[in-house]
Amino acid sequence: MNYEVRDCIDAGSEYCPCHLAESGECILCSQLRDKNFCDCINWKGVCIYQEFVWNGQKAKEGRKEIQCVLLNKEFIYDDLALFTISVPHKLAKELTSPGSFVFLRNPISDHFFSTPISIMDVNVEENRIVLALEVKGIKTKNLNLINEGEKILVRGPFWNGILGLKNLYKSKDGTSIVTTRGIGQAPIVPVLKKLYANGNKIYVILDKNPYKDIFIKKYLDLYNCELITTTLIDENGEIASEFKRILLSILKNEQVNIIHSSAADIINYNVLNLIGETIDFSCCNNAKMCCGEGVCGSCSVKNKYFDIERSCKLQIDPRNILEGRRLL
Amino acid sequence: MKVIIIGGGWSGCAAAITARKAGAQVVLYEKTDMLIGLGNVGGIMRNNGRYTAAEELINLGAGDLINITDRNTRHRNIEFPGHGHAWLYDVNKVEPEVRKLLQNLGVELHFMNRVVDVEKDKNKIVGLYISDGNYVKGDVFIETTGSTGPMGNCLRYGNGCSMCILRCPAFGPRVSISARAGVEDLQGEREEDVYGAFSGSCKLCKESLSEELLKEIEEKGAVVLKVPPEDINIDKLKLKVCQQYALREFAENIILLDTGHIKLMTPFYPLDKLRKIKGLEYARFLDPYAGGKANSIRYLSVAPRTDDMKVKGLENLFCAGEKSGLFVGHTEAMSTGALAGHNAVRYFLGMPLLILPKVTAIGDIISYANFQMATKEGRRKRYTFAGAEYFKRMKDIGLYSTDNAEIEKRIEKLNLKDVMNQKLI
Repeated sequence: MNYEVRDCIDAGSEYCPCHLAESGECILCSQLRDKNFCDCINWKGVCIYQEFVWNGQKAKEGRKEIQCVLLNKEFIYDDLALFTISVPHKLAKELTSPGSFVFLRNPISDHFFSTPISIMDVNVEENRIVLALEVKGIKTKNLNLINEGEKILVRGPFWNGILGLKNLYKSKDGTSIVTTRGIGQAPIVPVLKKLYANGNKIYVILDKNPYKDIFIKKYLDLYNCELITTTLIDENGEIASEFKRILLSILKNEQVNIIHSSAADIINYNVLNLIGETIDFSCCNNAKMCCGEGVCGSCSVKNKYFDIERSCKLQIDPRNILEGRRLL
Repeated sequence: MKVIIIGGGWSGCAAAITARKAGAQVVLYEKTDMLIGLGNVGGIMRNNGRYTAAEELINLGAGDLINITDRNTRHRNIEFPGHGHAWLYDVNKVEPEVRKLLQNLGVELHFMNRVVDVEKDKNKIVGLYISDGNYVKGDVFIETTGSTGPMGNCLRYGNGCSMCILRCPAFGPRVSISARAGVEDLQGEREEDVYGAFSGSCKLCKESLSEELLKEIEEKGAVVLKVPPEDINIDKLKLKVCQQYALREFAENIILLDTGHIKLMTPFYPLDKLRKIKGLEYARFLDPYAGGKANSIRYLSVAPRTDDMKVKGLENLFCAGEKSGLFVGHTEAMSTGALAGHNAVRYFLGMPLLILPKVTAIGDIISYANFQMATKEGRRKRYTFAGAEYFKRMKDIGLYSTDNAEIEKRIEKLNLKDVMNQKLI
């Protein structure tokens, strides 16, 4: 592989150029990386260098934390809650695309408690967002201290929660497969909505573990999905044989345009290996994120094709990021 | 045998024609929706030494494009400062005719396809990547991507994007294919260590001129107007690509030519100052749209090459037009393009590559510009049959001629008559 269509999720947005451009690390622009001449092999429609110069040779202001209200907390299990938050209209509008997420923080906690959570659903009429929160570690426990009606800090919008968005958008009027496990159910809701809007018949192969039941049933019905429940991964960390059989049988009998996998990287990677090169693929971006602005480095990825890149911004075909990846 | 041409400007079109005539399958990728690139806003042919070169091309069997521009000439044999016997083609007529010609010849045209990278096997290019990720294979490649823009370069080395005919923001920027293949680009300079140069002219909308002035230009082909003394800017001449127009007369006067639009022989001119001149009170720019503040920047991406137009360091990449040297003009692009296209086929067949002898103007400029590119002073000059240093050289060494019979004899004597018309495969 030589040329790859790589993109920066923020390029051309109001947050571009960012701090990466300022420090000569822009994902797309050669003039803002290591050259004094244009080499626009990945062009997104705007000249980032021009934006940078016109902005006074500095980065645009990043996303700000906005004080919002936690309207509703619906506990499905002791450790799984759906948060409904009232947000400004502009932010709600900007969070509708698949892969959107925000950082949430309890106003009483320090900045480093801020944690990225995927958008499950958006209501742009009433300016509400719904997120599924798995109460698991120090940051999510801290968020869980907020009661209904109290303030919650929201920083966003962020968009790079899915890799291979281009594949997702071009899948139209065909059959699509979405595989998911556990908390991975939440971010597939906007994916299902998109695939449904594009006229696709959708199979959802769902592993409800570690939960007792499915928590997106309402949406599966809404988007007319054919649900198949099974186990995705066995005790040995291998792809389960039943799942393999189901997946291959759909692939054999139908013209599948895309497989979207929303689970742990080990599952995403195994699904990718199973389907080979011929079918488009997208998956959730499982990188650990801390600042979301390309600065902190916690989301860095490195593989045999490229040196370190920030996966909070790098939008790329998952094949090019999962294959040959170091420290999978 | 498949020849892939990257870039559909004058030189790319010329290369497509000669490669096709020599018998190759020819595929041309162009990033915009039009052929002839900057030829869509140019128009000056046959002035000074370009006359000789145009006739040489015809006699070499590569006069197809000259025939089109001749046929669409609005004014023949006009004079303007420093320039004799110029022919002005109608920029609004030529592109569709070139397109038809290429299609009739069987050249496969792909518009709005931007080539962005190469796949190599050692020193050989095996295929190209289009910006949408598609991959195409070929046997021989000809790069005619030019050296103009894109926006980042026009900003870093000029006054920013002026929205010129290349329309980079809409179709995406040019990518230097030779550089992607690992051969570093050379740059032209306009002053000590200042890279690039501005394109040398703009176009005004005809309807924006006063009736009187328009009538005069349409009758004469060229009109010279005085610049108000307070607005004369001699320094601006340094900015220009076209050193044949970098004369004092061009600073003290405004020179307007009728090429279908009204060609204004200056890189850019502040609109409020332009409108002070009689007849131009309502003037507005057509190309570049922001001709009041800037123009495109060129010569930032020249590939090192040999005189047979092959890029040094790569086995099967040829180049032409501005990509192949600090050339100015359509005739220069057609000349280098025609040779590159012809030689691409010779290369594939294992034939010796054609190097045009220095007793032809085309052969001499190709070799002279190449030699000069190696020197610091040479990188600050431009090479055109139409003026500056090279036209002087043409006259000095007896290459300049407007005698068709003499030029024909010159080519015949070298046994090169119609050489590019021959089918090789």
